[in-house]
Parts: sequence; C-alpha cells; structure tokens
Amino acid sequence: MPEASLSAPASRPRTCSKISAVLLPLLSALVWILAWQFAVWWFSISPVLAPAPSQVISILFSAEIHNLASHGLYTGLEATAGFILALVLGLGLALTISRYGWLRDMIYPYLIGFQVVPKLALAPLFVLWFGIGLTSRVAFASFICFFPIVIAGIAGLCSISPSIIQMCRSVGASEAQILYQVRLPSAIRYIFAGMKIAATMSIIGVVIAEFISADKGLGYLILFASSNANTPIVVTSIVLLCVIGLLLYGSVAIAEKRFLARYAG
Amino acid sequence: MNKATEVQKLKADESTAMRATGFNQSGEARELAVPDYINIVGVRKVYNPGPAEVEAVSSVSLRITSGDFVSIIGPSGCGKSSLLMMVAGLENPTEGTITISGRPVLKPSDKTGVMFQDSTLLPWKTALENVLFPIVIQRRMSALFNERAIQLLNAVGLGKFIDTRPAELSGGMKQRVAICRALIQDPSLLLMDEPFSALDAISRDDLGELLLNLWQKTHKTALFVTHSIREAVFLSDRVIVMAPRPSRIIADVKIPFGRPRNTAVQETAEYAKLCANLRAQIGSQHA
Amino acid sequence: MARWQLPRNDSWHAMLASKAVSPAGVKILRWIGMRSSSSRRIVLPLLLAGLLLLAWQLLMTFHKVNPIVLPGPGAVFDSLRQNLPFLSVQGYYTVQTSLVALLISSAIGISAGIILIISRRLKDAVFPNIVFFELIPKIALAPLFVIWFGTGIELRIAFAVFLSVFPVLLATMAGLTATDPSVLRLCRALNASVLQTFFLVRLPYAAPFIFSGIKVGSTMAMIGVVIAEFLTGNTGLGYMIMFAATNLETSLMLSSILLLCIFGMALFWGVEFVERLLAKKYEAPVA
Repeated sequence: MPEASLSAPASRPRTCSKISAVLLPLLSALVWILAWQFAVWWFSISPVLAPAPSQVISILFSAEIHNLASHGLYTGLEATAGFILALVLGLGLALTISRYGWLRDMIYPYLIGFQVVPKLALAPLFVLWFGIGLTSRVAFASFICFFPIVIAGIAGLCSISPSIIQMCRSVGASEAQILYQVRLPSAIRYIFAGMKIAATMSIIGVVIAEFISADKGLGYLILFASSNANTPIVVTSIVLLCVIGLLLYGSVAIAEKRFLARYAG
Repeated sequence: MNKATEVQKLKADESTAMRATGFNQSGEARELAVPDYINIVGVRKVYNPGPAEVEAVSSVSLRITSGDFVSIIGPSGCGKSSLLMMVAGLENPTEGTITISGRPVLKPSDKTGVMFQDSTLLPWKTALENVLFPIVIQRRMSALFNERAIQLLNAVGLGKFIDTRPAELSGGMKQRVAICRALIQDPSLLLMDEPFSALDAISRDDLGELLLNLWQKTHKTALFVTHSIREAVFLSDRVIVMAPRPSRIIADVKIPFGRPRNTAVQETAEYAKLCANLRAQIGSQHA
Repeated sequence: MARWQLPRNDSWHAMLASKAVSPAGVKILRWIGMRSSSSRRIVLPLLLAGLLLLAWQLLMTFHKVNPIVLPGPGAVFDSLRQNLPFLSVQGYYTVQTSLVALLISSAIGISAGIILIISRRLKDAVFPNIVFFELIPKIALAPLFVIWFGTGIELRIAFAVFLSVFPVLLATMAGLTATDPSVLRLCRALNASVLQTFFLVRLPYAAPFIFSGIKVGSTMAMIGVVIAEFLTGNTGLGYMIMFAATNLETSLMLSSILLLCIFGMALFWGVEFVERLLAKKYEAPVA
C-alpha cells in the first residue's frame, strides 16, 4: 500500500516487496500455526475446543483423507458448476442490458437491491424449489455468484468513454461491432474483478446450502462433525475448504493474467 | 503477387487515381474543383426538443469547394462542433439539408475521415491496429491496407512506434495516430473537431505543420473546427466565423496566402492583420 | 451513472414526416428509445414488478403448481397480512442482534484500522494475517462457533461480529491511505502535527470508505445472525424461515423471506442515512 503510514516512507526495492507480499502472509500463517500448537500444548486445550495443528495434519495424512477428499470433490464440483452457470448467465444478461437502455433502467434497480439483501439467507428457498439434491446447491451458488458478475459486467461494458463510441460510429461501426470490438475488451478488467468475488462467494453459497440440506460435501461434513463434537474433523474440513476456495480463485486469477496480457490497456 | 509488387501496384494505382481526380504527379490541384462539393442549406439543429431544448445551430447555409481547407472558428456555444457532426453524419439536422457531391448526408460514410479532440484510440490495441480499426470495422482487411497503415505512420514520424500501445504515447503522438486512422481509407473529405486543443502549444504547432504538409500533398477537402484564430489563418484557404445565440455565420474570410505554405507566413504583417480582423469580428459579438 | 448512450440519429422526424406512425406513437416510441430519464427509471422497474406478479398469478391459475412449492401471490399476501405482527417481532430480534453486532464490529474495525495505519510496524506484523484470514470462507466456520459459544445470543453476536469486522477494517485502512497526496503535502507545508493531519484531514477523507465498509458489514452481520438462527435458533426470522420450511408452510416461509429482505434493506439504508447525516453536519465528501 502506498503511503501506508504517517512516518516518512522507507524506500524498498520493487522485487523485495513483491516477494514479501507472498512470503509474509505465509510466514505469518506459519507463526500462527506454531503459536496455536504451542498454546494447545501449554494450556492443555481440549481437542473439542480447539484441535492442535498436529492433529489436523495427522488427519490429513491418515486414511480419513479419502473420505474427506470425496466430500471435498463434491463441494468443489458444485461450486465450480455454480460459478460457471453464473458466469454464462451473468455475462449474457450484462451484454443484453448494456445494449438496450430501457432494459437497463428496468432491471438495474433490482440488481442493486439484491446486493443489499442478505442473499445467503435465501438458501432455504432454493432447497424448497429445487429439492435437496445437487441442483438446489448449484442453483443457489450460481444465484450468489450471479450478482457480482452482472454488476461488474455492466460497469465494464458502460465504462467506455462516449467519445470512443462516437469515433466508432464515425467509421461506420454497427452496434454489434461496437459491442464486440470495443465494449467487451474494455470490460474485461471489470469482469475479472467480479469473477474473483464470485469465485469466493460460490464456495460460501455451496457450504450454506449444504448446511441446511445435504448428505454429502464439506458443508455437511462440518455440520455433522460439529454435532458429534468432532472438532478436529471440522477444522480439517475447513482447511480443505480453504484449499478449494484458493484453487477456484487462483484459476480465475491465472485466467485474468492471460486475458490482460492479451488485452492490456 | 508478393509484397513488393503489391506495394508498387498500390503506388501506381494511387497516382492514376490522383490524375483522374484532377491532380498532377506532384499533387497540385488542377482546375477541377467542384464549387458545391459540400452544400449546407438552411440547417438548424435542436437538441432535446421540448421544454429543455437547446438550439445548437440556428440557421447556417454554406457552400464548400472541393479541395479547400476551410476552418470554422468561434467562441464556445456557437454551434461549430454540431455543424461538423452533422456534416460527418453523426447527427442529423432538425431542419435543412446537407449534401456532399449532391448526395444527402444521412449517416457516417467511409469517404469521410473524422478526427476528434480526444484521440479516441483503443487502449488495448497497438498504434498500427488502431490505424487499421476502420478497415476492420468495414471488414476490408488486406495486406494492402496494412502496408498503407505502416506508410502513414511513417509519414507522421511514428515509424518506430507501430507496435506501441497508446498508454506509452504522448498526446501529440496519439493525435498523429488519429490522423493516420482518419486517412487510412483515403477519404475525400477530412473533418476535424478541435483536434489539437488538448495538446500543449509546441505539439499543437508541430501537428499543425504536419497536417498542412500531409494535406498539401493530396488536397483533400478539409473542414477544421478550432478555437485558435492563429491556427485557422495559418492552415486554411477560407475561415468561417460563427457566433452564438443565435448560432449563425457572421463572417466568411478568404485567406490570401498561397500554397505551399510554411511557418514563415506567420511572421508577416498581413497575417497579423488578418488575425486581428477576425478577433475583432468575434469580439464584436460579445457586446 | 454517466450517460453511456449517445444521441442517435434523429429519425423521429423522418418517421413523423413519412406519416408511417402517428404522432402519439412516435412520442411513445421516442420515450422508450430515449436516453435514460428519471421518469423512465421509476416506471420501468415498477412495470417489471407488475409483469412478474401477473406472470406468477397466471402460472398459478393455469398450470396447477403444487402450492407447497409455490403458493400463489394471493396466498403469500394473506399469510403476510395474518402473520405480520408475529413476524415483525421476530424480525425485530434479528435486526436488533444484527445492529448490536454491527456496532461492535464497527468499533473494533475502525479502531483496529486506525491503529494499524498509525503504527507501521504493527501493520507489517498483522496485515499479512488479515490477508490470510480473508481467504478463509468465514461463513463455513459457523458450526465451529456453535461449539465455542453454545446456542444462545452470544453465538449470534460473536459470529456476526466475526463476519462483519473485516469489511469495516479493510475499508478503514483503504480510506486512511487514500488521502489526496497534494493535501498531505499541504499539511506538511503548514507543519501540521501527525495527529492533526490524522484527525483533521485523513479521517474525514476516509469517511466515505469507512461507511461503505460499514454498509457491507451490515449485510454481513445480518447474514451471520440469520445463519446462526438457521442452525440453532428459536427466535428471529432465520429461525422462522427454517421452521416454516420444515413444516412445509411455504407461504409463511416466503413472507418471512420477504420481511427479511425488507429489514436487510432497511438496515443498509439506515447506515446510509447516518452517513448522509454526518456528511451534512461535517460537510465531508459523500461517496
């Protein structure tokens, strides 16, 4: 962060700050894990309250891992499916809306309104409508992901300066050409920002849906294990959830780098 | 046909075309100028008709001869930009007609090249891709056009920046790319809406000279809107002065300096007198 | 929102002149096709809501949908009217808990943000942890919180605070570092003390950021309370939703959800209202 403190800014070489941006969180995570391990040992904390990291690691490397992994795969697939569905629908709607001003006036207030509403609390509705199977969780996840993507898409597609649009008209571009040649490339940056938010939200959506209606998946496992006071499994599942979240987010980030390299500007 | 012969053919085609339209080999216009090339008759433009309406152009009639470089000057709000937009086909007049070569202007044509105050380059495309943008839109992409784009960029001095993105170009360089883009389809009419207003004074002068050099080679018809009296007198054959409220033409001055011109003409007494005269015309409207 | 659609070619006059469409028709078409106006921005969303309600009713009348899956608008409306007093009380519990959690997390978030910005060393030590923490899908920790805090109101407040403190913290930090550098330079030129610069300049500039963080936090706090109520509640709208769902009382469930959405919006706009109040009083910039 620039000017991060009120004291005179210390100058740091660029590469150093890039490495430290990745290293420092990892190092601090390591410190926390060690401190946690120590605290559990020192204060003899019951594993029901807070399992030691060593316990978590031992679970990860035991036979349990297969069970955990299958739950994890299930959750991960649901989240990815929801994300992709939201991406397709969201971008489609954003493209349509940006084309027709009246459609935008009609729909945009609802999009903004939904951002303000506690969407995650609507999970039971989806269970009601789609049953307790996979469909409801994928539908809910895509519902959650949909809004960041649409809003980002609209913001991006409408962020072109009017003078560039005028220039396009002056060389005889049709509306469709303006959309594909100009609006979309300039919207890519915004869309990826929305996709990143959506990626994190989709995992959460799936987990909540699994809380209230599932017999598979990490959300279900967390709930089930916690009701059996099996906190080590709970924490391990959470760790796995983080990993899945990172994978999804990371894929989007990598895709973003590729796209931006091609369309930098 | 390999690239070299393609380029030769392009050059040969160009000189044939030039001769056919009344220019000799060195580009000097023969007496084939059309007096009513652009015919603006009784044009009025109103935005937002209704309670909040704005009359941008009140009543303008104008005839422009082909091959002329005509400047339109005037204070803000006199409607000069709106007039230019209507000639470009980006707006339609509320009343009156505009015809080019006898044909009414209804929408933008590929025989008209337009330049704006903002260079409006697409930030994710290179200079070359930006110059070729109109060709891509018209779906006429070919090696010939690619070659012409490179030639144009070389002619404006950006030969080394063909693959650079606008973010790395200065304001003056971006406008040079915009000039190339306006010229890529070899339009017969060049419309420019204060293209150099956003540049610093030195770049402004440089680009003015560049424009003049380019124009003097091909003698296209040019319509140039500007705030700067100096610029208008230096570049044009004819200066139209407009005034606001109501927006109309108040003066139409022929510039007597010959062609080809260079910056030395700006030091003459006659030049200063012309500028003072025009300034007085504009100032008299501020009573 | 900036105007992003340009004025189009004025073909309305052509339409009128050709008498293909009546003047009234042209007027309506023009209103639809026109650039966004404030009247259009109100009428069209209402029109959409009306159309959706109509479609819903038609679906119920003609398609025989299972009333457990989707009751008709009439049934939902009746349920809402009947249960409104009871649901409002439940809603009050939820909102109250959310509000308390929001106040706590705002206090923690803002103070922590201020401290971390003031002390660079602390920031370097702690910030990477925060970044790391952001990666955890916090809502999935709800059952863990149940283990730690039981099933009472402590759980709800603790979980809601946990969810909402991060947006506030990050927004505070972003806001405090976003001060205009030229204003900071002015403060240095005036020899303002560090604390003066902080409270008189940085904090007011950060206010819009902080408030947007609190707004996000308000939604998160409510989500936290509701999820906690899903899992282990006997009061509050979250509990009502689950109760109605398990008893297949869909109308009740839809009414509860509707009320929850309304309360959620009310909380959000409550924060916005406070923001505008403070902005007016201190003439600070509003986001």
